[in-house]
Amino acid sequence: MTEKPAEKTEVKLEIGRFGKFLQDNGIKSKRQSDSNNVETIVIDAKDLEPAMRLLKTSSETTLNFLLCVSGVDYADKIDSVYHLWSYEHNDALVIKVELPKNNMTNTQTPCMSSISNFWPAANWHERETYDLVGIRYLKHPYLRRILNPWDWEGHPLRRDYKQLIDALNDKNPHSFR
Amino acid sequence: MNEPLKILNQSNELVSPELSDTVTLTTLDKAIDMLSTIVSPIANLARSNSVWPLTFGTSCCAIEMMCVGMSAFDISRFGSEVFRATPRQADLILTAGTITRKMASALITLYEQLPEPKYVIAMGACTITGGMFNDSYSVVQGVDRLIPVDVYLPGCPPRPEAILDALLKLQQKIRTENYAKRRLKGYDQRPVRYVDYDSGRPMEDLLAMAMEETKEVLTKQDNDNTK
Repeated sequence: MTEKPAEKTEVKLEIGRFGKFLQDNGIKSKRQSDSNNVETIVIDAKDLEPAMRLLKTSSETTLNFLLCVSGVDYADKIDSVYHLWSYEHNDALVIKVELPKNNMTNTQTPCMSSISNFWPAANWHERETYDLVGIRYLKHPYLRRILNPWDWEGHPLRRDYKQLIDALNDKNPHSFR
Repeated sequence: MNEPLKILNQSNELVSPELSDTVTLTTLDKAIDMLSTIVSPIANLARSNSVWPLTFGTSCCAIEMMCVGMSAFDISRFGSEVFRATPRQADLILTAGTITRKMASALITLYEQLPEPKYVIAMGACTITGGMFNDSYSVVQGVDRLIPVDVYLPGCPPRPEAILDALLKLQQKIRTENYAKRRLKGYDQRPVRYVDYDSGRPMEDLLAMAMEETKEVLTKQDNDNTK
């Protein structure tokens, strides 16, 4: 007997406060389930820069503190995640940009535009995300590896990353010594 | 067809394969060997009671290394209180902490900068096998893959008493050493080559390229001025 995998039932979530704000300014967003009571929205890669500029400068939101830029590798897509914080309103927002993996191998990287041109805090975060997950941020001023050595091959936190076996690490990676 | 190996010694004489790995002693070597049997016990006694460690700590083991220098455990009872901040003045590396692949080249450089005789204590689980980061992509699975180790000191991190024990074991080892034998095991130190981080090319090559470019520009300017 082979059971069919249960189909994912997508619950239609109501548009949130920040989603409404972005909609009023002509930027489409899709709401996801909240993470730790923080509103989570998904937006297109091309809408990221105007949305970030708007959320940062508008007096209605003032999300002017970029907590972190990170990357998540799912089976079918790679997410670039931005955590924003507002000290003035004690608010937070999580923005995700989904980059589909269309039969991509480990050597290929998904591309999206950088925000470090107008938000310098993102500079090193984007370099780290590039280093470990392999999202290539276009127009980044200095997109190089930050944690691993310059001659590292592959991106270690990818699902299809194969651990290097050489003179410094020749033990069986599956062994449980 | 397996032809017998032809091995030549330094003066191009044929050596039989059985003798190929034996070391030919010159008269100088013999003189040093004879002298060292007399000098070594005295020199080793002095040397073993003044092992100066390098200030090298990459993680939590370094806290225990600091602790052993303080008054409660007081490593100066055994003559090793002088933690040197430069490898040129040190005799010992206590590799206190996890060594990552990025740190590996720096550790090798430090080891090569130590003057002979030099010793290494692999301190803590991380430097012996990689410890709990054993299967990590970035961690070197033991410093013995990079540099020769004299004493392995397990623990996570080891107690200060354990560090003192390892030091005493190392002192015993130093006392039984023979200078001439150690000299034969040694290798020629090579000068350290500095490598540009971004391009991975040696700095001397990049410098030579830059010098050539400036020379070209200067000659061009001279030619323009004369015209």
